[in-house]
Amino acid sequence: MSRTGSLYIEGNSFFHRMDGAVKLILLLSWTVATFLFLDLRIFAVMLAAGAAMLLMAGIPLKRMSFLFWILTVFTVLNSAFILLLTPRFGTTLTGSDTPLIPIGYSTINRETLFYVLTLSLKYMTLLPITLLFIFTTHPSRFAASLNKLGVPYKMAYAVSIAFRYIPDLTQEFRTILNAMQMRGLGISRGDGSLRRRLKNLSLIVVPLLQSSLQHIESVSDAMDLRGFGTGRRRTWYMGTVMSLADKLAIMLCLLLLGLAIFLKLQIFREFWYPF
Amino acid sequence: MQPVISFRNFSFRYKKQSKPTLININLDILRGEKIWIAGPSGSGKSTLAHCINGLIPFSYRGDISGELWLNGQPAASLGIFERSRSVGTILQNPDAQFVGQTVGEDVAFQMENEAVPQPDMKVRVLSSLDLVGMLDYEAQGPHDLSGGQKQSVSLAGVLTTQADILLFDEPLANLDPVSGMRAMALIEDIHRRSGKTVIIIEHRVEDVLEQPVDRIIVMDGGEIVAAGSPERILLDGVLPEHGLRQPLYLEALAYAGVPAEEWSHPVQLGAGAPTQQSPTQQLGAALASAEPDKLARLRASLEQWAGSIPVRIPSVRDGDPKDPLLEVRNVTYAYPGGREVVRGISFQIYPGETVALLGNNGAGKSTLSGLITGLMKPRSGAIALRGEDISSWSIRRRGEQIGYVLQNPHQMITQHMIRDEVGLGLAARGVAAEERERRIEEALRICGLYPYRNWPVSALSFGQKKRLCIASVLVLDPALIILDEPTAGQDYRHYTEFMGFIERLAARGTAFLFITHDMHLALEYADRAVILADGEAIAEGKVAGLLSDAEVTGKARLREDSLSRFARLCGLSSPSRLVEAYLAVHKGGQLSDE
Amino acid sequence: MKPSIWKWSTRTVVTIGIGAALYGATSWIGIPIGTDTQLRPSIALLAIFGALFGPVVGFIAGFIGHVINDFITSGTVWWGWALGSGISAAFMGLIYLAKGFNPQDGEIRKGHIIQFIVYGVIGIFVSLAFSYLFDIYIMGEPGGKVIVQAAVAGLANTAVFFVLGIPAVWAYAKRNRNDSNLSVDS
Repeated sequence: MSRTGSLYIEGNSFFHRMDGAVKLILLLSWTVATFLFLDLRIFAVMLAAGAAMLLMAGIPLKRMSFLFWILTVFTVLNSAFILLLTPRFGTTLTGSDTPLIPIGYSTINRETLFYVLTLSLKYMTLLPITLLFIFTTHPSRFAASLNKLGVPYKMAYAVSIAFRYIPDLTQEFRTILNAMQMRGLGISRGDGSLRRRLKNLSLIVVPLLQSSLQHIESVSDAMDLRGFGTGRRRTWYMGTVMSLADKLAIMLCLLLLGLAIFLKLQIFREFWYPF
Repeated sequence: MQPVISFRNFSFRYKKQSKPTLININLDILRGEKIWIAGPSGSGKSTLAHCINGLIPFSYRGDISGELWLNGQPAASLGIFERSRSVGTILQNPDAQFVGQTVGEDVAFQMENEAVPQPDMKVRVLSSLDLVGMLDYEAQGPHDLSGGQKQSVSLAGVLTTQADILLFDEPLANLDPVSGMRAMALIEDIHRRSGKTVIIIEHRVEDVLEQPVDRIIVMDGGEIVAAGSPERILLDGVLPEHGLRQPLYLEALAYAGVPAEEWSHPVQLGAGAPTQQSPTQQLGAALASAEPDKLARLRASLEQWAGSIPVRIPSVRDGDPKDPLLEVRNVTYAYPGGREVVRGISFQIYPGETVALLGNNGAGKSTLSGLITGLMKPRSGAIALRGEDISSWSIRRRGEQIGYVLQNPHQMITQHMIRDEVGLGLAARGVAAEERERRIEEALRICGLYPYRNWPVSALSFGQKKRLCIASVLVLDPALIILDEPTAGQDYRHYTEFMGFIERLAARGTAFLFITHDMHLALEYADRAVILADGEAIAEGKVAGLLSDAEVTGKARLREDSLSRFARLCGLSSPSRLVEAYLAVHKGGQLSDE
Repeated sequence: MKPSIWKWSTRTVVTIGIGAALYGATSWIGIPIGTDTQLRPSIALLAIFGALFGPVVGFIAGFIGHVINDFITSGTVWWGWALGSGISAAFMGLIYLAKGFNPQDGEIRKGHIIQFIVYGVIGIFVSLAFSYLFDIYIMGEPGGKVIVQAAVAGLANTAVFFVLGIPAVWAYAKRNRNDSNLSVDS
């Protein structure tokens, strides 16, 4: 994480220039579309499309690989969990049962294995578009776009404040933690029994809360003094104006979402199992 | 001329308090004036500021009596937002004030709230940033800026509005000396160029006096106790009567028996016309233009006086060479994949010694304290405690020997009752109850908190809370205590009180390391200083000598202390001698006060 | 007087923002208790923010905090769990509406704590039920597995709520009580 509390990387690709609100619509419709299906073919197509868009944005692969590995580890663990806890879950989806790997109390069947693969791909499908969004959208443009999409500006500004103060509070948390640890009140393994560490964790909450409340006080004063919340609407310094391409992109998103719903209702209704 | 701000028999009492914070204030501020409102903590000066900008009664409720007029209108008829169009406030804490995620966005904040169209905003943001010299930073985030730069951004934000009164609420509280000096110069620059009314609330005397002000209003106990030209206020000795520190050269002149009138302000006194020079500048001018005889007489009396004062008590190290308690050996640190923030630093702290780690923000002070406490690991080099390398020690284990006290006591205090707070570290280390009680009581006695041992923490003053933090570390019996900016935000009275307390602890044999940018603190209370600049230790030694060495202060971007500068301007052969003599007498006086 | 929960003052906006930031700033830390499950202080902070500022602030701060944290640390937003965070904070925030409960002024009674426990425990389990259904019906996860996950997370969150959340609210209220008759003991 950079010191700004966001992962935004400066750039000038098509997606960097795209209006934040459009990207948000893209993210949401993509997410909804993914939620609809449990079909390997769809995910393969979406994943390929997503990867292509990521490449277009020209985000350095190094910066993304970390998040990619996190999700990979998660899906592997998640799959293992499913295979161990519900080794024959696939059968409830397909009706068939093809035993494959005996694991003592039960047998992992081919259906479940294929199901796990599909599910992992489903999670993976969500990744490229989220990465695209967070790496190419400046957090303060994000707040402006929320407002443009109809979210009340006060709520949108709350999001902006969260982004603004995450690094400050993280730093403060570390400082407090360090001072506590010096007094022997740490929370890492070397600092005593689980009970002790839990107790210490509860101690840290107090100064952290105290300083957050101080932050709230002084930040609200600063905002009140500069006229926040007095108007029915506000303008955004970082706001962008939608171009024709942006408007076309929105139409395309909605069209694709419509297509996805149609496909779900008509063709790819169920879990796809080719065997 | 009609005043822009006018208080008439104005009093204010906070809702939750039984006594009024402002008592019968009568004050007229004229258009274009530059006013400094001085006063110790609790004098009511910030409350006065809140009354002007509208936070009272908008955010802080209470009883108001009397009248307050803003630009000829009764203030009570104006909401906080309406007031913000005529009064622009720059708050004390630059991080709280900086709400935007980039410089440009923050400067535009008020215009955004007034729904100014975007193209207009862009134009006004850029011109305001240009005024404060921050144009190159338009796209930067707050985390790339220093405290002083953030403050300049806040000022730019206020300049986008039509506000013709600029109100600075303790603008220097969070700045290191050089940033503070720049801030004052910037304020003066804006004042001169725009002709706006400027009101500065501050208790740091020397820093404010670097630049001219038209009038000083001194507050104490909720009342205005003096108002007048800087010359008058300084010569009348009003500041020290009200717990503020007067410029050191005035004290030195008094010690040496030289009448201050002769030197501080010979030209302007009685002249009537407002001066364009600050008291500090006037002094320089007076010294430079003085007749040679007169200057020679001043020099002679200063040197004679300084010579009559015995040199300071030798530091602990002299005579009895001991092994160092803490040794930092050639330590280098770099962020993963980043640049080196600390390079090849070496220094020692001997048992019972008080050392200041002195440097501006960004010089590497906090990295170094992080390395000593174990929060970070050095890339190369080693840190040894009593000769033993502690590289592999956990933070917890280091904490058994080294106490670490944060700047803000609220970041350390976790308990409701004072006694529990002090005992916390002992309980965690499994010390038996009986032993624990004994040690808690001892620590409380040493820290002067014993009478309050059964009080809740919330009933303590800020200074007492700081003592409580020391007590909760002291109870663990460390050989060294690291204090992070021990006096930040405290006025002179509390500063002296707190540091006197630290001095008594040091006399009992605890070693101290101050992490600070406060030169006076180092000068008056440290045996030695290590001066950091850009991640390197550029000098080490007795503080008076270091701070009168222009090469060192220049390189570290520290300010030459005012007394050394005065001594240099007088042409004394050894400026540091005067500083040492001053310190000896000053401290002697303090001790006999107690 | 406590402000109404529907009034959006500047303070409300800032409280939500800081609350969400606090959630994000602390969710990287925790004490692991077995695989994949940690005791994290962030849920306790949600409880506190709910109690001090009401269910609306709690819900939004919890939801935004969770989403932002997902954005930054995992590259994928777990919408089901993010809404879950908001739901539990909203339930915990119901205590704000209780008569005579005003920790800012030091007003709290034992009865409030019991109410707070009831709301909190219900909140945690409603939120998990929600996340459970979300994972099954939206993500297509097997119920047999999700229930195990939800149960473990529920127990961990309840533990954190009891160990960190409740004492913190109690301590906070106690601290704000007026102590008018203090005397110096020599």
